[in-house]
Amino acid sequence: MSAVNIKNVSKAFNEGKANQVDALRDVSLDVKQGEFVSLIGPSGCGKSTLLRLIANLLEPTSGEVTVNGKTAVQARLDQDYGMAFQQAGLFDWRTVRKNIELPLELKGWEKADRRTRADEMLQLVQLPEFGDHYPWQLSGGMQQRIAIARALAAHPPLLLMDEPFGALDEMTREYMQGELLRICAATGTTVVFVTHSIPEAVYLSNRVVVMSPRPGRITKVVDVSLGGDRSEDTRNRTAFFEAITAVREGLRGMHAAHVGLGNDDR
Amino acid sequence: MTLIVRRAAYRTAMFALALGLVVVIWETYKAVGPTDGGKLLGVRILPRTSEYAMPHVWDMLSRFGRPEVRGSDRTVLASVLAGAWYSFRLSVAGFVLGGAIGVGLAVLMARFKLVQRGVLPYLVVSQTVPLIALAPLVVSWGGKLEVGPFVWPRWLSASILGAFLAFFPVAVGTLRGLAAAPAASVELMQSYAASWWKTLVKLKFPTAVPYMVPAFRLGASASVIGVVVAEISTGLKGGIGRLIIEYAREATGDPAKVYTAIFGAAALGLTMAGVVVAVDVFVMRNRPKESTT
Repeated sequence: MSAVNIKNVSKAFNEGKANQVDALRDVSLDVKQGEFVSLIGPSGCGKSTLLRLIANLLEPTSGEVTVNGKTAVQARLDQDYGMAFQQAGLFDWRTVRKNIELPLELKGWEKADRRTRADEMLQLVQLPEFGDHYPWQLSGGMQQRIAIARALAAHPPLLLMDEPFGALDEMTREYMQGELLRICAATGTTVVFVTHSIPEAVYLSNRVVVMSPRPGRITKVVDVSLGGDRSEDTRNRTAFFEAITAVREGLRGMHAAHVGLGNDDR
Repeated sequence: MTLIVRRAAYRTAMFALALGLVVVIWETYKAVGPTDGGKLLGVRILPRTSEYAMPHVWDMLSRFGRPEVRGSDRTVLASVLAGAWYSFRLSVAGFVLGGAIGVGLAVLMARFKLVQRGVLPYLVVSQTVPLIALAPLVVSWGGKLEVGPFVWPRWLSASILGAFLAFFPVAVGTLRGLAAAPAASVELMQSYAASWWKTLVKLKFPTAVPYMVPAFRLGASASVIGVVVAEISTGLKGGIGRLIIEYAREATGDPAKVYTAIFGAAALGLTMAGVVVAVDVFVMRNRPKESTT
């Protein structure tokens, strides 16, 4: 059973009106259990829309989305996935621990169990001493780690991330990438990750899905053969650069096509 | 915490300074201004500075210590305090009632866009009705109301009018606050399949708090105004509003006296606002400090 299966999915906003936007057209993608898949492409290519279709925050215009063998709606109701956004989006009025407990509260967990799990998650993201702090007392990178802890608190099999490190500086970003890989290895979580950074996508992923805009389609899928054990040295390996080149060519190919058609380069 | 204390001390100092400035301006004008006022082409453009029109500040203050009526044991201070306390309780009742109605309406309006479109214009119109016209109506409606053993007390009419003024800022402020949750947080709650009610309690109300606090502050002072105006226009005994008219009648013989009642009413309004500020400091203690200004 695949973690996510997307079959011939199209999504149009303002359908049938003069300002109709075809965000996605005929997209098919299969993500296996435990796989790390990145969606990459220029802004407006529908990568965030695709993520929201998996999360059932949007309904597809046509086609089918299944998550863990269930319909996307059922998967959302069962909280089969956790989600993290570009902004950590922690609740200012809750302590860090209470933020992590939020999804558990909504699932109706007992107080003691919630606390135990929250402390485990704080260990996992290596911020055990910050449980009683408030989010605004933490740095951006720490806040994002708490957001990941919150997304994984209920141990969902799937993690959906929408440019989670986009607001961080380069140093913190690379550190966070390492942390995310470590956490995913420890929990065996499947990840669908939206980014517009090529090295980030390559460093993290088993597969990089290259998308093009207007309407959003998958133009290329790059298999990254870097193996499971990645470290900072990975960034210096030939295979790393080869994968980066492959993704870049995928992006450039459609860029050239766009220029050829006389469109702007967005 | 020390920051809060320092800020409080600074604000208190500024308040005292502003008060002192008013006293200085008052007394300076009284000293240099013409006793009979200034007239230009037969129109009085400067107020009179006679004892009747502008008593000395110290006369007003010392009036507090002297008997309310000649030969009585009861000082003006005691009467003003009793009146202010009575009105304070009515204002609190009006504020609580108005606050509950305001929050309730805001929740309904936030839940049903149709209600918002239908009700909001009427809320705005309701605030343009002159209170003085409304007060006798409420009293007469209340007087006709009897539900079982419940008999409408006269003071309730004054509280209702306080609530009538208080609910509006609360409803509008809360409505804005409920709409202030960031889109990503709303999506997060959706991703947890949280019900509308859970989203309201766990996300929307907490984000609304910074909007609700100033709204409640406005509502608190509005409630005091509603109660005092209702007391004056319906002649309800016991409150500071009644004292203001009673003392104003003696203004020719005892000009300082009416100011004591006015000070009482001002202190009442400040106390109400102060209580809300204290609650504000308490509920916002763990929020980022930028948003507590």
